[in-house]
Amino acid sequence: MNVKRRTFLKGAAVTGALIGLGSTQTEFPFQGLMKAQGSGESKKAVFQNACPRNCYDTCSMLTTVEDGVIQFVEGNPQNTYTNGTVCVKGNVYPRTVYSPDRIKYPMRQKGRGTGNWERISWDEAYTEIAENILKIKKEYGSTLPICLNKYSGNFEIMHYGIEGTMSSLGYTSRATGTPCWPAGIDAQTFDFGTIVNSDPEQMAKSKYIILWGVNPAWTGVHSMNFIEQAKANGAKVVVIDPILTNTAGKAHEFIQIKSSTDGALALGMAKYILDNELYDGQWLANNSIGYKEFFGYVKNNITLEWAAEKTGVRVEVIETLAREYATTKPANIWIGYGMQRHTNGGQNVRAIDALAAITGNVGLEGGGANYAQLDSWGFNYHAMVHPAPEGSEGEADRAVNMNNFAADVLAAQDPPIKMLWIAGRNPVQQDPETTLIKKAFREMDFVVTVDLYMNKTVELSDIVLPATTPFETPGVNVSYWHYWMTLNERAIKPLHETKSDVEIAMGLSAKMNELESGSCTYPTSGDLEEWVGKEFNDTILEQFGLEKWEDLKNGPAKMKNKEVAWKDGDFRTPSKKYELYSEEAEKFGHHPLPVYVEEMKSTEEFPYRCITPHWKLSIHSQFQDLDWMEAISDKPFVEMHPDLAKRNNINEGDLVKVYNEIGYVTVQAKLTKTVQVEEVVMYETWYKNLNYNVNYTVKAIPADMGKKATGMPGIAFHDNFVNIEKV
Amino acid sequence: MGTKMGFMVDSNRCIGCHSCSMACKNYNQLNPDIVWRTVYDIKEDAYGQPTRITMSLACNHCEEPACKEACPTNAYEKRADGIVIHHEERCIGCEMCVYACPYNVPQFDKEKKKVGKCHLCYERLDEGLSPACVSSCPTQAIYQIDVSTIGDGFENSLPGFPDPKITKPSVRFIKPSIVKKL
Ligand code: SF4
Ligand code: SF4
Ligand code: SF4
Repeated sequence: MNVKRRTFLKGAAVTGALIGLGSTQTEFPFQGLMKAQGSGESKKAVFQNACPRNCYDTCSMLTTVEDGVIQFVEGNPQNTYTNGTVCVKGNVYPRTVYSPDRIKYPMRQKGRGTGNWERISWDEAYTEIAENILKIKKEYGSTLPICLNKYSGNFEIMHYGIEGTMSSLGYTSRATGTPCWPAGIDAQTFDFGTIVNSDPEQMAKSKYIILWGVNPAWTGVHSMNFIEQAKANGAKVVVIDPILTNTAGKAHEFIQIKSSTDGALALGMAKYILDNELYDGQWLANNSIGYKEFFGYVKNNITLEWAAEKTGVRVEVIETLAREYATTKPANIWIGYGMQRHTNGGQNVRAIDALAAITGNVGLEGGGANYAQLDSWGFNYHAMVHPAPEGSEGEADRAVNMNNFAADVLAAQDPPIKMLWIAGRNPVQQDPETTLIKKAFREMDFVVTVDLYMNKTVELSDIVLPATTPFETPGVNVSYWHYWMTLNERAIKPLHETKSDVEIAMGLSAKMNELESGSCTYPTSGDLEEWVGKEFNDTILEQFGLEKWEDLKNGPAKMKNKEVAWKDGDFRTPSKKYELYSEEAEKFGHHPLPVYVEEMKSTEEFPYRCITPHWKLSIHSQFQDLDWMEAISDKPFVEMHPDLAKRNNINEGDLVKVYNEIGYVTVQAKLTKTVQVEEVVMYETWYKNLNYNVNYTVKAIPADMGKKATGMPGIAFHDNFVNIEKV
Repeated sequence: MGTKMGFMVDSNRCIGCHSCSMACKNYNQLNPDIVWRTVYDIKEDAYGQPTRITMSLACNHCEEPACKEACPTNAYEKRADGIVIHHEERCIGCEMCVYACPYNVPQFDKEKKKVGKCHLCYERLDEGLSPACVSSCPTQAIYQIDVSTIGDGFENSLPGFPDPKITKPSVRFIKPSIVKKL
């Protein structure tokens, strides 16, 4: 092909425009093109919105609204990361809003799990909730029997209002921790002092990119652009993953690694780098502590043969990878969240970080060991911070391990947990050990869930309160990957009787105080847009180059000076250096060095590892259940290698039971050579009318790290071993 | 030679994210089970090394549209610019086109009892915009082209795409490069 891509594209668009002009296209009304009828004076406006989901990309969106109805949601090109497009989930938003399945008004269920729902008014809902809270307070002398379980359903900042609701009632029990990424966070916290990644747009400047256990083609589509740009500039892209993912399909080279052995590969590479003196001694001397100890460990304990045996990657491949990585500058590693969902996941991340450090790729433009960042989150959390009412019993909230939620809730004593408040979460679908979770729900006196749809958690609640979508309530969003901040405007009036978390908090507070004066400190009124303004302080305005927060009405803003993480060597560790040797790690019970920790192994009874990665059409339990998504894919499947299938007499499309000691899933077989023979893959998502839940087989095994930064270790989701049989 | 509007499908850039299919539903507000643009997995060993590669297809705005040929009520029109449009109000829902199109393009809408399909977002083209699917593709893997001026150097087909001889589709492809498994 000799047409340059850019000119070609432009040319194509121009041709299109010219052709269109002379035609008689308006002669007939067409399917789908019929807009709101009748008025003749329709009002059209475009609003800024932000996608608040638990996703790398946190898209800046533009929403076209005509006569109060959303017509089209598209990307905002002012955000150069999301670059004018939204992913498949962003594109489904009109349906998220207008789906007939939305919960429309508060409802009460007569008998948890019966499906016997009745519509109630907001006032009735508030009254019933407030009475239950007051009853608990009276009976137990404190509000600790109330437990909040809220997490990643909506990361928009005002949604921290739900934590605020709890604080304003007194001291409560709180699901603490985060399920998915804490092992890696702690690992980077030991190494660098915290998590900071380089602006992902800088990936375009890399000459060598390792995508290590990350699948942006499905989970961070916009980053693929910068990877493509790097490729166009001559960079080599290598994917390391147990699965040949769609991202791997775009790479130059793919290394299929046995799950959970990533640290062994990294240490094997380090050994080669050490033996061949390809490390950056200068950088290490100036910026790190413990490199001599690390090199000593590698020298005495690591061989390439061992690494090859562990990982299933040939010695020559490790050698070439190590040489290319160490000698091509800048080299970027993107460390995925999937690869740290193991009992040695944090250690593996530390070993990978070490590669970036010893080769002098830390602080280098286009380099780095990039995992995530929280630097752009310096809001006031005004919606969240509210004092306990005067005279509240106790001193502090009680932490309940989010990652062992059911067991911890059931075990809680003095006082026990009697009431759950669930917001932005679907634990009955998404937590491990579903059976135990259901038991915990059944043991409660009272369960309130705030949600958009009738999901598995709502089914086990007493009261459900209908939540707004991002289009119906104002807010502000940032990402944990890129550095853009987007204002989220109220594009349409809230549908039905839906309310945001902050409005719910205000309403409940009014009722609490009506029933017992002084029992809740949450404000009972306030303008939501003004409240968005209250989230800002001088520092965050400065960081984003804003004079006042309202400047965001002109478009998203990007945090300054985030192009290259750690470029000034300003590590936030106790030593202020990069810590290959971390005393902090030791304090938390780990080896101070990034040593290899044995991975979990299969057993005779359950010989296959079952990986349950993110699915392209959902984020956890959000999206896939919408009918628009089901039009694209309506059937789950288990991916397995044809050799494994043959061994078990399974053919393509056969129903297969995937099981272990805690449960099973029955699902169709999809045979593919892109997965390894001893590993099967099911995607974590749910379908509205199917009893499909990968967590029926997933145990709440803690990952090795997470306690330091997030309070609790993560979950080793991918250390799940199963057996399979044809049904 | 007259204008022949159609699509370029760059499977080298396509990441299989389905944004395009959903953008089409988003923009055209299609009924829940209707999909006008589909992202297909290319058979994993089509190029030897098993891999995950995809192609995104909608109506190919064929030179010899089988849909039009089959329709008893003249619901289909081939415009001068090559875009094949389906006039819904002339459609009696007999589904002849559905069976005739080799690419599974026309979709029968159970609610409307009529067929519908991609019209290349011609009304957006008129405004100087790209089709909704094209402008929503995060990797610029699809775009509208005039195949009469596009020149050679592109593929006429990819593995799994029906024989282009049948209807002379106005679509060109860029082949995916295949990852090397080490
Ligand atoms: S949006 Fe683009 S990259 Fe995604 S599936 Fe469609 S054509 Fe491929
Ligand atoms: S792809 Fe099918 S529907 Fe489209 S013009 Fe060709 S024959 Fe007709
Ligand atoms: S051109 Fe328009 S109608 Fe055709 S597939 Fe794309 S978005 Fe849909």
